[in-house]
Amino acid sequence: MSAPVQTSRWKAIVLRHETALLAVVVIEWLCFNAIGPRFGSLDNTFDILRHSVEIGLLALVMTPVILTGGIDLSVGSLLGLCAILFGKLWRDAGLSPLTAGGCTLVIGALAGGLNAGLITGLRLPPLIVTLGTYSLFRGLAEAITRGADTFTNFPASFLFLGQERWLGLPTQAWLFGAVAAGVWLLVHRTTFGRSFRAIGFSPEGARYAGLPVQRRLTLVYVLAGVIAALAAVIYTARLGQAKADAATGYELFAITAVVLGGTSIFGGVGTVHGTLLGVAAIAVLNNGLVHARQPREVAGMLTGALLLLALSGSVAPKLWAAWRARSRPSPPPTPSSTTS
Amino acid sequence: MNRYFRELSVAGALLLVLAVMAIFAPGFFQPQPLLSLATREAPTLVVACGMALVIIGRQIDISVGSQFAVCSVCAGLLAAQNVPTALVALAAVTLGAGLGAINGLLVAGLRLPSIVVTLATMVTWREALRWQRQGAFVNLPDSLQWLGLSQSAGQWTLVGLAVALLAVLAYVTRHISAGRLVYAVGTDAEAARLAGIRPQVVTFGTFVLLGTLTGLAAMMNVVQSPQVDPKSGTGLELKAIAAVVVGGVAISGGRGRLWGVFAGLLLLACVAPALTHLHVEAYWEKAIQGAIILLAVVADGVRSRKSNR
Amino acid sequence: MSAAPLLELRAVAKSFGGARALRGVDFTLQAGEVHALLGENGAGKSTLIKIVTGAHQPDAGTLAVGGERLSHLTPAKARALGIACIYQQPALFPDLTVAENIGLRLEAGTSLRTIDWAARGARALELLRRLGAEIEPDAEVRSLSMPEQQLVEIACALGAGARIVIMDEPTASLTQKEQHLLFTVVRDLRASGVGVIYISHRLEEIFALADRVTVLRDGESVGTHPVSSINEAGLIRLMVGREMTQIYPPGEATLGAPVLSLRGVGCTASGVHGVSLEVRAGEILGLAGLVGAGRTELARVLFGLTPADAGTIELNGEPVVLRSPQAAVAHGLAYVPEDRRRHGVVLEMPIAENMTMAVHRRMFPGAWLRFGAERSLALDYIRDLAVKCTGPDAAGGSLSGGNQQKVSLARWLATRPKVLILDEPTQGVDVGAKGEIHKIVRRLAQEGLAVLLISSDLPEVLGMSDRIGIMRGGTITAVLPGNADAPTVMSAALGQSEKGAA
Repeated sequence: MSAPVQTSRWKAIVLRHETALLAVVVIEWLCFNAIGPRFGSLDNTFDILRHSVEIGLLALVMTPVILTGGIDLSVGSLLGLCAILFGKLWRDAGLSPLTAGGCTLVIGALAGGLNAGLITGLRLPPLIVTLGTYSLFRGLAEAITRGADTFTNFPASFLFLGQERWLGLPTQAWLFGAVAAGVWLLVHRTTFGRSFRAIGFSPEGARYAGLPVQRRLTLVYVLAGVIAALAAVIYTARLGQAKADAATGYELFAITAVVLGGTSIFGGVGTVHGTLLGVAAIAVLNNGLVHARQPREVAGMLTGALLLLALSGSVAPKLWAAWRARSRPSPPPTPSSTTS
Repeated sequence: MNRYFRELSVAGALLLVLAVMAIFAPGFFQPQPLLSLATREAPTLVVACGMALVIIGRQIDISVGSQFAVCSVCAGLLAAQNVPTALVALAAVTLGAGLGAINGLLVAGLRLPSIVVTLATMVTWREALRWQRQGAFVNLPDSLQWLGLSQSAGQWTLVGLAVALLAVLAYVTRHISAGRLVYAVGTDAEAARLAGIRPQVVTFGTFVLLGTLTGLAAMMNVVQSPQVDPKSGTGLELKAIAAVVVGGVAISGGRGRLWGVFAGLLLLACVAPALTHLHVEAYWEKAIQGAIILLAVVADGVRSRKSNR
Repeated sequence: MSAAPLLELRAVAKSFGGARALRGVDFTLQAGEVHALLGENGAGKSTLIKIVTGAHQPDAGTLAVGGERLSHLTPAKARALGIACIYQQPALFPDLTVAENIGLRLEAGTSLRTIDWAARGARALELLRRLGAEIEPDAEVRSLSMPEQQLVEIACALGAGARIVIMDEPTASLTQKEQHLLFTVVRDLRASGVGVIYISHRLEEIFALADRVTVLRDGESVGTHPVSSINEAGLIRLMVGREMTQIYPPGEATLGAPVLSLRGVGCTASGVHGVSLEVRAGEILGLAGLVGAGRTELARVLFGLTPADAGTIELNGEPVVLRSPQAAVAHGLAYVPEDRRRHGVVLEMPIAENMTMAVHRRMFPGAWLRFGAERSLALDYIRDLAVKCTGPDAAGGSLSGGNQQKVSLARWLATRPKVLILDEPTQGVDVGAKGEIHKIVRRLAQEGLAVLLISSDLPEVLGMSDRIGIMRGGTITAVLPGNADAPTVMSAALGQSEKGAA
């Protein structure tokens, strides 16, 4: 169409949250590259990729959860529980890593189903349900291992998944890519994603439109469970061991990545590519700070601060407008309109 | 249905646990271990009272564990400099109030969702503390140990202080206008605004109060041991929220009583020692606490579905 | 009157973002008068009210109460000045008791004062008795019905000794008896020197109650008139700015086979029982009844939102089980709900996405979105139903009430239903859009759709229906012919004819 429409569309793309976030990632990259010479190397890039796969997977499935207006605080604990159960199935039940992995995914689905059942069946708030299972899953992991048992000495064929390369890329990156593509298509190109948004904006409105709200919510939480289990297997393969405290606090990183990526914590608004950029921003920051010889804690601190900053930034324009509206004095009445 | 049903059912569950213990493990009822248990849980009770108010106001704060650790470490560092105990306590409480105010400003001032705000502050404070201390404990001077573990007078003081605070807050939430405003805001913030209440101020107030109580709880904890662990308070938020939810405070705000929270906390506090006495491994504690939270929420869910019919 | 008016607004203006809600409105309210405020939806009535109650700050203009000019009005200040507002949806605290709700509004003092629960209860009881309301002060507000909640609101206003009482469509959900009670209360207030601002879409109420009427149109006042010097047609002309010749389109129904037949349908949870009914293709069956008679509840049963647990439902002669909205949609039922902002349209989503929301399965085989097909469907309906919007990408919330209703209707027409249930399709819709919606519904019936029309607007039921079903106490008590007159329908709804027969 006409030129003004074109420019406004360009403006809209430039002003988009995702574009700003991409700029942040690029700036981070350039800064750290200037500080540490080894940072930009291929090895280190792969290292960043390997380290961000598990959090990335959790963030990917957290996106549809938050799109529906929910939250899942239990994914980190579930990752820990699944890692333990995977180890148990392999070492004590004598299953091959492949079979054990398959069983772990089923367990993840069941755990997600527990969340889903409580949230949809009894209409309980996701926040408190997943806070309960957050405690339950981690507690089960501790109980099973008696707080001390760890699983190690996995066969090399299994560790290949987490520590080697396949077709030039870290093996798990292929899995991550596949999941990312799948979630992207699910959210942005199918009626499922459309339903998630509708539910996030207005659960009652979605129900009155004949959308299967309960089934969609079930899907979202079960998917979160399955992918958390997948992340558990990859995590175990990357570290070569499974412990009860695996992935403590990962739910925070996942939520941070999602919110940083522009998804509204109130539901309805958000994109999967935004989440991927959010994951990248956090992963590059973490890795870069290590290369800049900063302790790991600084990265954790900055992640928390970054989340607050992103949240504040997302409401700043609204608040600014409200403040301006309040502080502007009302002009005197125009005499022309009086009718006395 | 009886309007105290929820509180009574928690009290009933508590009595049941105690009855089971009386039959199968009478060793549980020894005065000194029970007093020690009460002393250990006193700080949690103080935090849970503040948490109850925040949740009644339809918010949540999961950063109290980190606030607790920050206050504990700072109190310990001050005490190590031989600052008088009263000043140390004052500093801990003030610091807690300040940390609570930061959450309150972000939630009430910027209208951000409290779960995410406090998730962020939880990590920020915890990591900042780890960075600062690098895991090192703070050794406390003997002068701070006047309420030490072995002295039962000190233990009674701590328990008495916590229960007195509970009583005061229970009175305030029932009979003082400011306490009722929290319920009003929790049940419907927009209606509160239309009624001339300033919900943001009330919300801010509950966060500051929770921070203050957390600071006090930290102080109550510091005087119990010769060292301060920078990791102290890990999981405190969960214990407090569990006590509040089990005690019948609706997570959706506006409903609940502090006496119920007290009963909820006692119930949860009995789990670990009960497990030991019943020869169940203590590793199950966390899982059982999670299950109790879920059970309480499920019970509330089933009840509210029935009453809506 | 020589004294300064109770309330005086001069050249008040207010914008939200780019939209100008009020553009220089003058309004005065005298003590001891009922001043009706009238206007199409989106004319600026609610904005005006929110400025008077201090919920919004005007961008320009002045506001004076009792001759005293106020610069920065807050809800608390407005309350202190004796301004009370009774909202359509009472702004009460559902988890608190009636006494506490009243106490919170009325008791002055610092937030550190002690609460005297006995005095609170006594005061609440006294105020409620003055209104003739049988409500326990100890009851939780969530357990009250909507009209009871309104009475609690009015009790608050009474107790506050309000000088200015604003009533925003107070009768929208009241039964006839409660309406009369309310009118008595309003007249008592007026007699005691209170100024009442009365907002309503029902013209007959304005003529029954008001002294003066101000009409708003597009954020401007188009005149204030004594009620005695104007008639209904004149008011409608002022509201729409043009003469409305005939509101209800003529109907020549050619009835086909029965599409929907109910036999003894009931649902314990929602209080519907023993409903037997038949709707034919091409027929508009009006459902009249008082609020709480079970009409919306019946619609919810049919649409599977609260599934039936008794009786049989037949569609085209086949018995069907409707356990969920999805099942109802699959069987060709469509339900345009009463509350369009909460249920009818997802306000934040584009029009196009709203319109295809109920046809995901047919529009998007294999769950893959087809944006082109969606857009063309939306454009078709925007044209067919004359939806006023900037395009299919406009958010549902950016439309006026009537156009939102059209989007909600389009969503259900897209399902190609056999039975269309309309629940208060023109409530809160401006007069112009109301006529258009009537025409659309009539056309759909002529195309062979079976329509179940629930409406509390008696002229609408009478003007549109081929037959009129009367609901009372959760069941159908009578089916009257479409040419029944208003008194017959009203007395049937009130149960008077039955009383005579018994």
